[in-house]
Order: sequence, then C-alpha cells, then structure tokens
Amino acid sequence: MPKLPLQFLLLCVWLATTSGSYAVSVKPQQVLDLHYGEVLFHFYQEDYFTAISHLMVARQQNLLQHHLNESELLLGGLQLSYGMPDQAERRFDRLLDQNTDADLRNRIWYYLTKISYQRGHYRRALGNLRKIDKLGDKSISTELALLNANLHMALGENDKAADVLKNTRAPDEWEEYLRINRGIALLRAGELEEGRKTLDKLGKVDADNEELRALRDRANLGLGYELLRAGDAGQARDYLNRVRLQGPFIQAALLGAGWADAEQGDYKQALTPWLELLELASYEAPVQEAHLAVPYAFAQLGDSKHAIYFYEQAIGYFDEEQQQLEAAIQGTQSGELLSLLSQADTGNSGGWLHDTPTLEGVPSGRYLVDILSSHSFQEPLKDYRDLGYLQQLLQQWLENIDLYYDMVDARRLAYQQRAPLIRQRLEKQEAKALYQRWQDYQSLTLAQHGSGDPLDLATGKEKRQWRTLRKVQATLASLAPEPRHTNMLAKARWLQGILYWQIQADYKARLWDVEKQLQSLEGPVTEATSKHLQVSEALDHVKVGFDGYDRRIAVMRERILTLLPDIQTSRNNTSDQLQRLALKELESRRQRLASYRIQARYALARSYDQIAQQSGEQP
Amino acid sequence: MKALLRGILAGLLVWPCLLLADPESAVETGVNEEVQTLKQQVLELNRDLFMLEEELLFPSNTQVSVFVSMNVGEFFQLDSVQVKLDGKEVANYLYTRRELDALIRGGVQRIHIGNLRSGEHELVAFFTGKGPQGRDYKRGATTRIKKGLGPKYVELKIVDQTKNFQPEFDIKEW
Repeated sequence: MPKLPLQFLLLCVWLATTSGSYAVSVKPQQVLDLHYGEVLFHFYQEDYFTAISHLMVARQQNLLQHHLNESELLLGGLQLSYGMPDQAERRFDRLLDQNTDADLRNRIWYYLTKISYQRGHYRRALGNLRKIDKLGDKSISTELALLNANLHMALGENDKAADVLKNTRAPDEWEEYLRINRGIALLRAGELEEGRKTLDKLGKVDADNEELRALRDRANLGLGYELLRAGDAGQARDYLNRVRLQGPFIQAALLGAGWADAEQGDYKQALTPWLELLELASYEAPVQEAHLAVPYAFAQLGDSKHAIYFYEQAIGYFDEEQQQLEAAIQGTQSGELLSLLSQADTGNSGGWLHDTPTLEGVPSGRYLVDILSSHSFQEPLKDYRDLGYLQQLLQQWLENIDLYYDMVDARRLAYQQRAPLIRQRLEKQEAKALYQRWQDYQSLTLAQHGSGDPLDLATGKEKRQWRTLRKVQATLASLAPEPRHTNMLAKARWLQGILYWQIQADYKARLWDVEKQLQSLEGPVTEATSKHLQVSEALDHVKVGFDGYDRRIAVMRERILTLLPDIQTSRNNTSDQLQRLALKELESRRQRLASYRIQARYALARSYDQIAQQSGEQP
Repeated sequence: MKALLRGILAGLLVWPCLLLADPESAVETGVNEEVQTLKQQVLELNRDLFMLEEELLFPSNTQVSVFVSMNVGEFFQLDSVQVKLDGKEVANYLYTRRELDALIRGGVQRIHIGNLRSGEHELVAFFTGKGPQGRDYKRGATTRIKKGLGPKYVELKIVDQTKNFQPEFDIKEW
C-alpha cells in the first residue's frame, strides 16, 4: 500500500514533465517530406524503435531535406524516450554548437534538463532549465514551472519550490497538478497553514473523473497525516474522513483515522476503522499495522481478554504471512520472477509494461504488484523487454537473411541464363543501326530542301506506277511508229505527267510530314541507343553487384551473430538486477513482519502478565 | 505500551511522509551504458538491413509506395482505406484509435510498398469512415500514375472539401 500513492504521485508529476506539450507540439504538423511524416506516425504511437529506424533510414537516403534540424531534434527526443539518454545528450550538445534558432535551442535545453533530471543531476538540470527563454504559452510555462519546482524539492530547497509554484498561473487542465505540488512544497517548506489551505481546496474539488478523484483523495490523505504529525488529530480526522471508501487510498485513510481517534484518547472510536481494516483480509502495511493497533486499543480500554484474543490472532496472521513470504522469496530465487517476466515479451518494440502480467499462480505475485509498478523496477524491466524485442528482431532478420542469399542466387542464375542471349543481341548493334537509318533519312530530308526532287518523297505505290509508266514508254518507243503506238505513247506520257503533278502538288505537305515523323522518332531512337549502353553497362555491373550483395549480406549476418550473445548476456544481467530488486523488497517485508511479530509477542506477554497480576490481586 | 504506540505511530507517520518525498530520488534511471550501446548497435544494424531488404525486394527502378495522410475536422473518423493498383487490391487497412490519432497529429502512414514496371498505371483508392451523427462515409478516387526510373511516392491525403466540408481524397504524386 505505501508504494501505491507514491507511485500515483510520481505518475502525476512524471506525466507533467515527460509527455509534456513542450517537447513536441500536439498540434498537427506541417509535413513537407513524406518520410518525416512516416517517422511521426510511429512516434505518435510511442513506437520509438520503429520511429528511430525509419528516421535513420530516411536520413541515410537523404529524404528529409525540409526537416533537417527538426529531424535531428526529433531523433534526440526519440533516443531519450527509447532509453538512450547518453546518445540523446551528445546529439543535443552537437545541435547547440550549431547556429540554431531560439525556439530550437529552447527545446534542446528542455531535453537536456530532462536528461539531467532523470540522472539525478539536479543542480545541472536547474542550470539547463534557466537557459530556456521566457515563453508566452501558459501550458508550457506551467510544465516548466513544475519541473523547476521538482528540481528545487529534490535539492531540499522547498521554499524555492513553493515560491516558483506560487508565482505560476496554470491553465485549467493543469490547475490540480500545480496545486498538489504547491501544497506539498509548502508543507515541506514548513508553511503548514498555507500548505493546508492549498491542499484543502484541492481536497474539496468537485472531481468529474477518476484521475481527479484520486488526486483529491491523495491531497486529503497527505494533509490528514501531516496534521496528525503536527498534533492536530481532530482536524486530521476530518481530512481523512474525506477519502473515498472505494478509492485506492482507503486502507491508509482508515488506519490514520483510527490513530487520530486514539491520539484524542477515544480508543473505542478508533476500533471502528481498525476493525474494518481487519475485515479486508489484505496483506498490505496498513492492515498489518491494524493487527497490532486493534489489540492495543482493547488494552487501552482495559479489555485484556479481547486484547489477548486479537494479539493471538495477529501472531497467527503474521506467522501465516511469514510462511507465504518465505515461499515467495524461495520462488523468486528459483526463477519464478523470470517466468513472470517472460509474459512481458509481447513482441512489441515499446518496453513499457502497460498491462501488469497476470500474477495468478505465482506465490510472490501479490507481493510484487507494488514493486512492478515502481519506477526503480520499471526502468530495468523496460530494458529487459526492449532487449527481448531486439533479440526477437535479430532472430527474424537472421531467418530472412538466408532468404536474401537465395534471392541473390536466383538472380545470379537468371543472369547467367539470360546474359549470353542479351549480349548476342547487343552485339548486333540494332540500336546503332536504327540510329544510322534515322540519320540517313534526316540527311535525305535536309537534301530535299536543296534539290527538291518530289519523286524522292513518292509513296511505294507511286514509285511502282512511275516505273511502270517509264517501262511502257520505253517499250512503245522501241516499236514501229504506227499511229496506234504514237497515241499510246502520248497517253503514257500524259499519265506520267499527271502522276508527277500529283506528287509535286503534295510535295510540301509530304516533306513537312516526313520531317515531323523524323522529329518524333528522334527521342525513341536516341533512347534506344542510350538503353543499349545502359544494358551493356548493367551486364558488366550486375555481376559485380551480386558479389557486393554477397559481401554485404555476409557482413550483416556476422553483425547479427555477434550482437545476439551480447544481448542475451545483457538481458541476463538485467533479469538478475530485477531479481535483486524483488528480493530486496521481499526481504524488507520480511523484516517488517518479523518486527511486528516480536512487538505482538511482547505485548501479548505483557497482557498475560497484567491478567495474572489482576488475578493475584483479586483472590 | 506507550512505547509500542509511539513505535507504530512513528512508522505510520513515516510512510505518508514518503508520499511527500521528492519524486526524483526514486527515479532510478535503471538504464545502463551496456544496454544503450546495444540499442544503438541494433538500430544501426536494423537500418542497414532495412536498406538492403528494400534494395532487394523493391529496387528503386520499380519501387512504388503509397502513403495515407489526413487533414480533416474533428467530426470525421476514418475506419479503413483500400488501395488498388491496376485493378489488383494491394492494401486494405483498418485503423485503430491510436493510429488515427497519429494521422490527425500529422503522421503519414505508408500503406503499401511494392513494385511496378515503368509506364502508366491506374490507382484506385477508397476510404470509409463516420461523419457527424455517426453517418457512414465511403469515398473513392481514381488516378493514373506514371512510373519512371526512380522510386514513386503517391500520397493519398484525406481532406475536407471546402465546397461541402466533406472529406475527399486529394492524390499527390511526389
């Protein structure tokens, strides 16, 4: 239980700083390069690995000419989101060295602030944050103010954190987050009354969604405990009463409410929330503590019998819990946790665990719910999952790469079969001959402009007719000069004249038409020549290309085979780290339980002594 | 017994104070250099493999890619997009909420990558979705694209027509 509200608070603060609007605009982006848009498509789905891969390919292929600077910044941001802060920081530093505009510099300083923040370099983070110029946008200013306040709180400068938040005006959607952070900062700075007022307002807010309701519970719980610590049990009770019965903080609220009553001397009243806690059959800290608190209250009320009954019940409860905890520790040591984590291999490139894997059937499961959601566990778990995805990906590539060999081999075979035939045809120089013919016609047409013999442009039929008429005339001329022959010769000459007239009449149109056709043929004929050259060159290069592919594939295969064992080793290290974290958590629970058990036994012995004394006094 | 009360009470008061504790102190990055280096190496290898695969499967002389983008009002919700090239269906995609959000924010989805001979080809695209009052929409567009020597990129942009404020395809060849 204690981790849950902490986790919730972390989540609120983390959301405020991680997925903020400043780093990347939430407004639709104007995309000028399709491939940049493709990167954004994956980025907006939080598929960082795919987004980075596409971005790297597009940069390599020079496809991001309109988004060069933005793509550099985006790559840094993606690397940061994908758990590569070192590479991201180096990239941002390089960008700052260049002549970047004010907006880009602001965003770079923002990212650098976050990197330092994540690494716990708070002073450096503050230095980076101060380099961001003043901004007009309220949301961005609020986001930066929250980050600023968190940094001050991390450095123990609670008064400065409170000042930062006091002077920040947040837009509506940020108001509650700002207020809870402000309240916390004020309480921590010792400004109890102002902190109380701030959280009191939040505690009464009319929440219309679960997130706000939980935030309201959180404020009331925090305030209640703070007042209890300050000795104002009456007011503490009022705030604790505001916590919802169905909310995630009810166990802590019930426990605190009982102590508020006890502090005021009303042990009878304190028993109501504590006994309610015992009925929850939970194993969380508030319930465990209630097992000690209930008999204590009975003892305070002078009801030794009930005190003994509940102390014995508590010892039984702790014994049972102790046994289960031991089993959980053994299970975790024997690798049960790893089997639980193997459920986290979803084949997804995003390493965050969005859905908690089922804990049923795993003895340590119920103890690990809290730790699974804690940030210190989530980070290595994310690494573990990321590495699992990379392992699957490389295995997949390894299978594909054999297919690439086959593909290249098939192409090589096809080349060997087709190349000789293609070479044969190339040797015929068909394109060259075609070009020569085109050039001949071109010369002929040009010559027409000089000589202008219309018969050169006669059609095949006309030429045949021309030749026939000439032949007829020659034959007739060789015959005896009879009137019949003379008439026929004259007719033949007349027909030849008609034919020549027809051809000459069309001459200009024919010349224009021929020139037009030759012009339209110039492109295809030249292209055929160029294709001939291309095919000829390609034939020579393709063979070299096959060898190039073979080498490239071999090198990549080698790179995969080198990386796979390294990933496995790293994954083993990460799982060891996770196991250590889990065991540490279980061990701390065991120690706490052991302490409770000793206290219960001691108190039980005291109660028996008291009864014995009372019996002795009343013979 | 008072000591017990104080002990328990002290314990109780400590853990809510933890709630107020600085969040960063709990933020263990958990990211070690070894994992980061491996990620970088795999990303570089993945880039090289991706480019090799593209060269082998979709050589630039025959490569054609079809992209989908959106620039529409909030009242239209895209359900699916179907693409046909020369009468053959090459893509039929159903969108998730997450993908739609990515498109609305300016993301561009590559819905198809394939090969085409150089020359003219017919591209037919349909999209379905829901408009205001849950009204079903189905719109289509046909265009002829000319495939040359280099890779061909076609963008199917779903935009609001200014005439009737209804979404239509705006096809652009890159």
